[in-house]
Amino acid sequence: MTNAVAGLGLAPDAAMVTFPIEMFLPGSDISPLDARRQEFYDGLTRWRSAFDRGGDGEAPMLRVEGASAEDALARFNHQMLANRWGDGLPLWPPTRERVDWILRGAAQPRARTLGAFPPRGGVTTVESCAIALAMAGGRPEYLPVLVAAVEAFLDPESGSEALQAASGSAFPVVIVNGPIGARIRLNAGFGCLGPDPQRPAGASIGRALRLLQQNLGGALPGIGTMANYGGLRHTNLVFAEDEASLPAGWAPHGTERHGFAPGTSSISLAFANGATNIRRRGAKKETPEEDALQGMHRMADFMRVPNMAGLAGYEHGTPGIVMIPGVVAQTMAGLGWTKASMREFFWEYSRIPLADLRRAGGPAWIEIDTSKVARESLAVDPWPITAQPDNFLIVVAGGGHPTNSYWLQGYSPGVVGRPVPLPADFERLIAEAERDLGPAAP
Amino acid sequence: MISLEFHDPSGAIEVKQPHAARVTALGGKRVGFVSNEQWQAYRMLPRLKTLLEADFPGIEVLPIDAFPQGNGVIGSEETAALVKASGVDAVIIGNAA
Repeated sequence: MTNAVAGLGLAPDAAMVTFPIEMFLPGSDISPLDARRQEFYDGLTRWRSAFDRGGDGEAPMLRVEGASAEDALARFNHQMLANRWGDGLPLWPPTRERVDWILRGAAQPRARTLGAFPPRGGVTTVESCAIALAMAGGRPEYLPVLVAAVEAFLDPESGSEALQAASGSAFPVVIVNGPIGARIRLNAGFGCLGPDPQRPAGASIGRALRLLQQNLGGALPGIGTMANYGGLRHTNLVFAEDEASLPAGWAPHGTERHGFAPGTSSISLAFANGATNIRRRGAKKETPEEDALQGMHRMADFMRVPNMAGLAGYEHGTPGIVMIPGVVAQTMAGLGWTKASMREFFWEYSRIPLADLRRAGGPAWIEIDTSKVARESLAVDPWPITAQPDNFLIVVAGGGHPTNSYWLQGYSPGVVGRPVPLPADFERLIAEAERDLGPAAP
Repeated sequence: MISLEFHDPSGAIEVKQPHAARVTALGGKRVGFVSNEQWQAYRMLPRLKTLLEADFPGIEVLPIDAFPQGNGVIGSEETAALVKASGVDAVIIGNAA
């Protein structure tokens, strides 16, 4: 709550009366209100903000000392955790030298303000991004993608202000299109959502974004974010679309959703709160047509659940992101499927019969939704899980193997795209990456 | 001794406006509620209204539904304008969890 107050431009405290969560549950005993009513009265009369300054000023430099380099590094990491600035894994110290090195990847001035990170409202600059990226083990050539992702995150259309604090455990998903993905060793193939020493960019960029969410945005578990589980938040998800495997006539995601010209380096940010592997391939003697159709049904059947996650983006966002590997995209295209026809299929076959929706209490959530389009959707039986087929995101990514597809359940009021401008000496940064990391994997 | 100097990663906070001034006493004042209708607000806020009315003679506590309710509307400029126009001296906002 203090995060939200600070995010409104007020001092980061507020007159609050807090109670254990049990009092907020249906049928609870609310008599503790009587016993503590003086706290409410004091909040209206005697309370004063402890912050009377116009701002906290520039972030200072901090210092640790150790008997050896190893000892100093350990003390630094202890301090990160003690101040609630870490994520439990070892961090690189954001020294002046390392942050300056990261800033060689900046296409904008280091002091440029990108916005206030919600809900706490931490002033977010290009330098803030470089500090987080340094801590996350990043490199300068990653910075353009991180800055673009942060800009998208801070766009009110993303819904990040609410999702940062909400209990639904949303995590940002950053889809990268254009040549920058391969240049900075961002994974689009096998294991693209997980750790990969050959293609480490996604883990560092996503971890840096998470550190910003926590340290500037105040999304500290149980305090600033009520995310019950917080899955996939160590690194969020940052990956590239496998554009080299896109079938002829299939546009990249950034072009379809955001209108970027093909070949434009861009990012697309959405929020998800689930990640599920779906066994797509058939197991016996299916024809190619049967194999494709059964796989499509298996995916749509998984989407047809009344858990209300997609309601957040019913009108303008997305119910989720479908990931299919390039080999499957090629096969589907050969059978006449397009991304558009797949979206139509998912929209049609993920509809939920109203009787099932009522049994699960879904209409109550829909009736209180802020979107008129969502509220009016209750008149449709079976109920479409999103307002229109175009809201489904389909991305070609994943290893060259046909068995599985992936479903990232959306919890995403919007899907925000940004181009990725590059610094003038970007090619030099890539050459230095070759020097430091060896040749990029094919 | 090795010294390691590094940037504070928590950034800065810009305070743009002060909190609302507090009233000196509640007796004879006009108090409103802004409710998101979540987390048992429909039970707790009426209880608070009753307590305020019992403890402070002359207080006027507006009905719980005097202003638009629900998470989707209570943060809007329109609701803020309605609260200002009502002439309340103080407001209680609830509930969060």
